[in-house]
Amino acid sequence: MKMKGAKAVHYESGPNMTPLVDVVMVILIFLMLAGSFGGAEHFLASNVPMSKGGVGGDSSAVSIDEPIEIRVDSPSPDRFTALAGRISAKDGPTLTAALVRLREDLNRAGKKTADIQIKIAPARNVKVNHVVAVQEAAMLAKFEKIGFAKAH
Amino acid sequence: MGKHHIPEAHGGHPNVTPLIDVVMVLIVFFMLVAKIGVSTGADPKISIPATILGSEIRDMGNVLYLNVSPMTKDSDIPIVTANVKNAATGNTEVTELKLQDPSGQNQVTNTLKFYRFGKDLKKGGTGDASDNDNFQVVIRADKEMRFAALEPVLLSCAEANVKAWNFNTAKVTEAAPAAEH
Repeated sequence: MKMKGAKAVHYESGPNMTPLVDVVMVILIFLMLAGSFGGAEHFLASNVPMSKGGVGGDSSAVSIDEPIEIRVDSPSPDRFTALAGRISAKDGPTLTAALVRLREDLNRAGKKTADIQIKIAPARNVKVNHVVAVQEAAMLAKFEKIGFAKAH
Repeated sequence: MGKHHIPEAHGGHPNVTPLIDVVMVLIVFFMLVAKIGVSTGADPKISIPATILGSEIRDMGNVLYLNVSPMTKDSDIPIVTANVKNAATGNTEVTELKLQDPSGQNQVTNTLKFYRFGKDLKKGGTGDASDNDNFQVVIRADKEMRFAALEPVLLSCAEANVKAWNFNTAKVTEAAPAAEH
């Protein structure tokens, strides 16, 4: 049987766009599959180099000239405790709230946030995700200088 | 001025002009936004911590990714890899950097000093030996790793006088904080 439909009618409709559309679609699909956009990740920055540990004293006192040390321990692999003077927290939100209060107290006492340095001192067995949680809590509390001390 | 109309389809053929317009816009968008063939050396197998907070790094061309994972599950000895020039092959590829190589050198510190201070590994100098004050390090550390394994890497950053280093973290939303406490 002879097929007539495809060739029977010829229109003056400009150049044949089918190959162009084919190629363009292939390029589009390639770019969509091969491209990476880095949308699922971000970065917690630290601009303070690591320092030796051993900052002592009551860091909750208002007249602090020394860095505030947050001592992080891990009583079991899935938990951590953060101690900074009178502050004691076992999770990120509690630590954030306590650090916000501490920063506000210090600000009221005339200490600029830029002059306060938070020093995170984790124990050797503290997991990285807990260390990061403590750093995030300090950042959420709007501290600007956050560094790490050697493990205790 | 005459009005422009979309050309009408002829004889049952669909008008592909709007399709091509849209597809071309999409192609230009993807070409501008997508990063193709740019390897940071980030190891996707490392399970990184998740945080709500985080920022973007603007100058990714001046960043070195350090992949840090423990040698074994509870080991305090890290394996550090980075996308650097391999001395053996001469190619830039993900290479292990030893904290203490057979000659007693700390390859992590030396690599960071190379990027920070140039060929002479020392402050000052010009040309190949000039300092790079804006050099940053991204640490892609396994979230289950102990701090004892991460500590030598942070010390290397401090020793190489790296002014800014960053933890690479996964984004979580406010509604579902994934940071395990």
